[in-house]
Amino acid sequence: MEKTNRISAGERIRNFVKENGSFVIFMLICLLASCTIPRFASIKNFALILKQAAIPIIGCLGMTCVLMTGGIDLSLGYMIGLSSISIGLLIKTYEVPIALSICLTLLLGAAVGLINGLCVQKIRVPAFITTLGTGYVLLGVAQIISNGASINRLPQAFLILGKTKVLGKLNTTVLISLAFCAVFYYLLHCSTFGRRLSAFGLSEPTSRLSGIQTSRINISAYVICAVLASVCGMLLSIDVNCAQPTMGGGDYTFTIITGCVLGGVSLFGGVGSVPGVIFGMLTLKVINNCINLMNAPYYLGSAIQGIVILLDIILENIKNRKL
Amino acid sequence: MGTQFPPFSSLIRGLDRPDKKERLLVKKAKNYKAQIGIAVVIVALIAIVGIRIPKFLSLENILNVIRQTSIVSLVSYGSAMVIIVKGIDLSVGGLIAFCAMVSGLMMKAGIPMAIAIAAGILAGAIMGLFSGIMVEKLEVPAFITTLVIGQVANGFALMLNGGNSIGGFSDAYVFIGNGKILGIPVSIYITLFFVVLSYLIMNRSKLGTHIYAYGGNAQVVRNQGISTAKINYFVFTFSGICAAVAGILLSAQMNTVHPAQGGNYQLDAVAACVIGGVNMAGGEGKVYNALLGALLIGFLRNALNLIGLHPYYQNLIVGVLIIAIVAFSMYKRHKKVELSKVY
Repeated sequence: MEKTNRISAGERIRNFVKENGSFVIFMLICLLASCTIPRFASIKNFALILKQAAIPIIGCLGMTCVLMTGGIDLSLGYMIGLSSISIGLLIKTYEVPIALSICLTLLLGAAVGLINGLCVQKIRVPAFITTLGTGYVLLGVAQIISNGASINRLPQAFLILGKTKVLGKLNTTVLISLAFCAVFYYLLHCSTFGRRLSAFGLSEPTSRLSGIQTSRINISAYVICAVLASVCGMLLSIDVNCAQPTMGGGDYTFTIITGCVLGGVSLFGGVGSVPGVIFGMLTLKVINNCINLMNAPYYLGSAIQGIVILLDIILENIKNRKL
Repeated sequence: MGTQFPPFSSLIRGLDRPDKKERLLVKKAKNYKAQIGIAVVIVALIAIVGIRIPKFLSLENILNVIRQTSIVSLVSYGSAMVIIVKGIDLSVGGLIAFCAMVSGLMMKAGIPMAIAIAAGILAGAIMGLFSGIMVEKLEVPAFITTLVIGQVANGFALMLNGGNSIGGFSDAYVFIGNGKILGIPVSIYITLFFVVLSYLIMNRSKLGTHIYAYGGNAQVVRNQGISTAKINYFVFTFSGICAAVAGILLSAQMNTVHPAQGGNYQLDAVAACVIGGVNMAGGEGKVYNALLGALLIGFLRNALNLIGLHPYYQNLIVGVLIIAIVAFSMYKRHKKVELSKVY
């Protein structure tokens, strides 16, 4: 009896790797990088990586919610652009109080998410197509309201929100991101909402039959995603001190989806974890950082990054099947 | 007299139903509904805009629009096949740049045009096959496989020529893109050739039947002892070949290869497929309808251009239209469908 209950050390390691794949891969890449690249292993560099990863991680959290329902949100990058330009217009051009304009931008995000969710849930347009279409629309709206121009030099009172230095090397953006991670850790792993989301993603009919209000769950996932995208847009505008209608964009969406997948979120729905996503995005940023530190020409960077991500995904899949 | 006998066929049980041929006809008519809808929309669009702007209706303009949309439509045939097997091909944009870059560099190195083009197409086929192997053997979702392969291809396109573009090709190469035979641009012939080819594959061959069956229910196909590897490899390779041809055609039309010429073609192609009635849940849809979808988007953009609408508004209208068309077809086809998942 005792023998069957005891878990051997090998088994324990195997379980750990199985459940924390993205963390293990992140550590492997960090180890490899610190052995080969001299300037990689320094506090300054890690603070930089954290700063770079902070904003996309917020987007990843929203995308995780949508991916867990089995859908996808391709409009996320364009929502970032729209929220960026709208906060710029509200604060700089129309001189609306900062708190109010932040609220308005978040509301805008919620409205876009609601439209996405309603199209997917009520009209049953596939999520891919709905969000592809709304992406085009959001890009158009962002360009129309700004006339294609960006807004520079945002007011200092707004910039303080994300640029105040904390703990020496870090800034408040990282703290905001951490706060979101904590909230979503609670939401997805400790609350009934997370359970319902997961159940809905695994099987819609089953979750409906067991009394979950499926439409509410599905729509709220899209609303959360779009609201977080508008948070991303605001933080990005603070980061570069400029509000642009073309900020984010399609490529940003795909980077965020890649981060989610590296973090072990299943594209088929139902599976996802907040720590996994954090390390997935950090892995992406570490790869980026290594390429920069190696002084590789810019035209090599993209190919190297692609190949490393490819290897990462293959490793992740082999891990899932062999362990 | 008096009593009338019922027709003979109804005396035998089962024969009073419409016979097989009749049922097939009804089914066919239903299948054509989506297609007719798009055709009607295209014709209506052409008529409405044509009345207001006569230039829109000129043969030259129409041929030009078809020539411009040939890139998207070529790509969308491959994408349609991948979507039919419940996948999606996002590597197309990268391949458009990469394959054109391969053949462009070879031509600049003095290799004959035919061999250079063949090498470009081969490069596309190999990349596509690689996606197929990842999807089949490693069971990585097609979405993420092709997304990353697209990034790698984009990176290769940048790497091959140090991030520079190549220009100034031979007249023969430019002729492929801009030349005319019998007054019709060569691009249109190439597009038509691929439409016929994919029609023959999907609707007139055993492989096509297997592809549809695999998209409909993979488990049944496996149980029948049909090789799923063959299906996956073929579909992704064909999509790679389509993308390569599209990339080479695009570079021939512009007389340059730009390392970022892939742009957003993968998403446009998916939009064209879905507007053409290819079901993202797999197993349903005709490849040649993707051509109609691509033409619809092309004519719409052209019409908006001629009306003088700013490109900013075009994005908005195209976005709304994509959702509206798909919403309409979903509403008409099945009022109660499961949420469809892609990948």
